[in-house]
Amino acid sequence: MESTIASMSKEEVLKISLTCGKLLLTSGAETYRVEDTMTRICAERGMHIAAVSTPSWIMVGDENVDGTSMVTRVTRRGTDLTLISEVNNISYHMPRWPHSFAETMAILDELSSRPAPSPLYSMIWSGFAGGFFAGVIGGGIWDFLAAFLGSFLSMAFIALVRPFRPSSFWETTMAGVIICFVTYMAHLFIPEVTMELAIGGGIMPYLPGMAFTNGIRDFMAGDLISGTSRAGEAIFLVGGIAIGIAAFLGIMYL
Amino acid sequence: MNLVLTIVIKTICSFFGTVAFGKIFNCPRNCLFKAGFVGAVGFGVYIVLLSGFGVSSMLSNFAGTVALSVCSEIFARWYKQPVPVFSIPGVIPLVPGLPLYRAMNYTMQNGYSMGMHTFVSAALDATAIAMGILLVSGLAKVYKTSKRLVAQVHFHDRL
Repeated sequence: MESTIASMSKEEVLKISLTCGKLLLTSGAETYRVEDTMTRICAERGMHIAAVSTPSWIMVGDENVDGTSMVTRVTRRGTDLTLISEVNNISYHMPRWPHSFAETMAILDELSSRPAPSPLYSMIWSGFAGGFFAGVIGGGIWDFLAAFLGSFLSMAFIALVRPFRPSSFWETTMAGVIICFVTYMAHLFIPEVTMELAIGGGIMPYLPGMAFTNGIRDFMAGDLISGTSRAGEAIFLVGGIAIGIAAFLGIMYL
Repeated sequence: MNLVLTIVIKTICSFFGTVAFGKIFNCPRNCLFKAGFVGAVGFGVYIVLLSGFGVSSMLSNFAGTVALSVCSEIFARWYKQPVPVFSIPGVIPLVPGLPLYRAMNYTMQNGYSMGMHTFVSAALDATAIAMGILLVSGLAKVYKTSKRLVAQVHFHDRL
C-alpha cells in the first residue's frame, strides 16, 4: 500500500514532522532521536531537509531559495516514555501510513493533550522508589519506611509549589532539605532508622540519572551542544541536591 | 551464605525500585517489568562483582552498566521499542546517591579531606557508568551501520 505522505504538500509534511519532533523533545528523548525521526518522516516524501534540535528548540527547513522552514520552542520538558514509544511507532509505520493530514494532526494532538499523571500518583511511586533504593543500599524495613515518607512528602511539596513555576534547581534543593528533615525526625522518634541509608535512598528520585544518560548518548551521536547542555543540567541538579543536604546538615550540626 | 542472601535481597529491591522509577517516568505498561529486569541485571552484575569478588567500585560499575546497556539494546530490538524505555529506568540503581550524602556529611563536619575523597570516588563511579553507556551505544551504532553496509554489498552483487 502506498503511503499518504507522498500525496501531501511540503508544508503539511514539515508540520507533521515538526509536531512529532516537539512531542519527542517534550517527553525527554535524546536530540539525535528527534532529528532522526524528523528527517525520516520528510524523506518519505523525497524531501531532503535539515533538522536541527537542541534541548530547548527545534528548527527544520531545506536549502532551496523558496523553501519553507519552521521553528518551535520547548520550555518545559518532562519524562514520558510511553509518548516516546508511541511517536517512535508512528514514524516506524510512516512507509505505509493510511491517514490524511487532518487525521494525522488529530492523532498527534490527542497524544500531546494527554493529561499528566496526578500528583498523588507521582508522590506514591517516588515514595516507593526511594524506599526500595534504601533497601538496595542495605537498609532494613524502618529505613524503607523513612525513605518512603521522605520522598513522598518532598514530592508533595513539589506538587504544591508546581503552579508557581519555580526552577528545577530550587525544587531539588528544597527536596533535599525536606528529605533530610523528615529522616531526622524519624530518627529522633524511631532509633532503628539509620539516617545515612534512609537519606541515600530518599534522594534517589531527584538524582538526574536521565539527563546524564541522555547527555552521554547525545555525545555519542556527535551532538555536542545537546550533550554539553544536558551534562551541565545533570551537574547543576546534583549540585542542587547536595546544597540542600548540606544546608540541613549545617543547621543540624550547629 | 549471609553474603548471598544480602546480594539476593538487594537485587530484588533494585528490581522493584526500577519498576517504581518506570512508573514515575511513565514507561509503557507492557514494558514495566522488562525495564525492572534490565535494572536488576545491571545492579546484580555490579553487586556480585563488588561484594562477591571484591572488584573495585569503578570496574564493577562499568561492568554493570555494560551488562544493562547490552540487555536494553537487545530488548529494544526484541520488543520493537526505543532504547530509552529500558535504559533510562535501568541505569538508576547504579547512580551513586549514598556517596553524595556521605560526602556532604563529612564536609559539614569539617572533614574536608574525607569529603573530597568520597566526592571524587562518587564522580569516578559516575564516569565509569558514562564509559559503559558510551561503549555500548557506540558499538550498537557500528553494528547498525555494518548491517546496512552488508545489505548494500549484497544488493550490488545481485545486480
